Amino acid sequence: MALAQRTRPDTPLAQAEPARERVRITVRNLDKRYGSGEAGVKAVDDVSFEVKQGEFVALLGPSGCGKSTILNMVAGLIPRSGGQIAIDADEVRHGDVNRKVGYVFQRDTVFPWRTVEANIGYGLEIAGVDKAERKAKLARAIETAGLGGFGAKFPRMLSGGMRQRVALMRTLIMEPEILLMDEPFGALDTHTKLEMHKTLLEIWERERQTVLFVTHDLGEALTLASRIILLSARPGRLKEDFEVPFARPRDAVSLRESAEFGRLYSHIWHSLGEEFRRTKAE
Amino acid sequence: MKHSSAKVVAWQVAILVIVLSIWEWGWSLRAVAALKPLVPGILDPYFISKPSMIWTSFLKLSCFGDAAGFGACFARNDNNLWLALLVTLKNMWWGFVFGTVSGVACGLILGRSDYLSRIFQPYVVAMNSIPRIALVPLIILMFGLGDMSKIVTAWIVVFFVVFFNTFEGTRAVDRDQIAAARLLGASEMTVLRTVVIPSALAWVFASLTPAVSFALIGVIVGEFIGAERGLGKLIIEAEARANAAEMMVAIFAMMVVGILLATIVRQLQSYLLRWQPQFEAQA
Repeated sequence: MALAQRTRPDTPLAQAEPARERVRITVRNLDKRYGSGEAGVKAVDDVSFEVKQGEFVALLGPSGCGKSTILNMVAGLIPRSGGQIAIDADEVRHGDVNRKVGYVFQRDTVFPWRTVEANIGYGLEIAGVDKAERKAKLARAIETAGLGGFGAKFPRMLSGGMRQRVALMRTLIMEPEILLMDEPFGALDTHTKLEMHKTLLEIWERERQTVLFVTHDLGEALTLASRIILLSARPGRLKEDFEVPFARPRDAVSLRESAEFGRLYSHIWHSLGEEFRRTKAE
Repeated sequence: MKHSSAKVVAWQVAILVIVLSIWEWGWSLRAVAALKPLVPGILDPYFISKPSMIWTSFLKLSCFGDAAGFGACFARNDNNLWLALLVTLKNMWWGFVFGTVSGVACGLILGRSDYLSRIFQPYVVAMNSIPRIALVPLIILMFGLGDMSKIVTAWIVVFFVVFFNTFEGTRAVDRDQIAAARLLGASEMTVLRTVVIPSALAWVFASLTPAVSFALIGVIVGEFIGAERGLGKLIIEAEARANAAEMMVAIFAMMVVGILLATIVRQLQSYLLRWQPQFEAQA
């Protein structure tokens, strides 16, 4: 009896399930061309996918496959040539800023003239959040990012990894429901990257934002994502879309040593390898 | 780097003493027949005066050495060193302030708008190719012999320096930093205030040190061509009497002003730009 009740839709637990299935990002027949006519280059070709509430989706593909272009179109940073993009029910328009969406750049975009604290608190400050609340949130963000003691420092005194932590927390402090990340750890060395994976996993496994994460690093995609969308070489087309089965919470280091990780890695590598060869042949 | 600062200072003092000594006594060496061909004509005190004569002139112009006392001398001479200095400084200050404010404002507006910068580009290039000093007689014609013409001259000279640097600085702002600010909820005005201006500030400051000198040049040239008072006027009057010592007093006064103002700008710069590596030590 009790067991049957649990599956009934009016119980709180069951209600949570459909909510998680809610589609947050819809991409339909997305096209992107640079230039026009014969001289134009097609960067993205007829890409469609959905990202559901609480999913961590990695957009994986070789360099130049248009994965960052897709992300930037989802963020409304660049115009699209064709197709539809919607966040929840709202059509994404070029130049619009959606408060539900947070974005993390690959390039270092921390403000060098602001201290670490002033950088992380930037969004709250310009939104006019009162000082006490800002301070409390800042303290938590700095703690989460492991930036204790660096709050009053200027970014140039920090390493690349720490600066990227600042950029990440600057976005996360705004509590975005949807997080778009463009190879955020692409410029970091392997060790620092692993540290960042740990931090991001810890945050995401606690808060379960909906994430669309662009990367060309297969290991990174497998470590972090719940689902991987594999793109072909230019022009970017959807090639494969599959779940990453590893249990959570994940450990960024021991996961990489597991047999299953190795098996999946080589399977995708095979698939990705074709694309790399195609890129080189062109 | 290896040389101690004490040694550096010792050299600096030595050079000062040598130069001042040659200046003071060099010409007198002509009395010795053997040395006469070695003393160049340029050391003639008629042209360059002498440190001792300059000091005497300083005491006279500054009213410090006046027999009637400082107050009486100050009241009698309406272009004494202090009043002249004050007038020149005042005109320079307003020229600098107006030039900087208008230069920064125009630089930001044109730097942020491709449309406006394309429209104004040929006019800016044309205006900039006019040597500013050529405008001074015209400015005096328009604004008279008083202080206003000096302020306007300094304003125009400062404006272009600051304008071009602000424009370039605004153009050089990182597009991704602007996008990041927007994505964090910043409006166009907030982006301007919190990203564009702080980022362009380094460029603005790079122009302020030359702008201080240019403001001084603008005011002095204005005073040369037509003025009632000021340091430039002091020089022109001394020239009419072929009094090199008095000219030198005014020149030294300008030097002191230049050094002081450049120091103030540098202090402000090292505070406001303390996030930049080159200002780390001062911050």
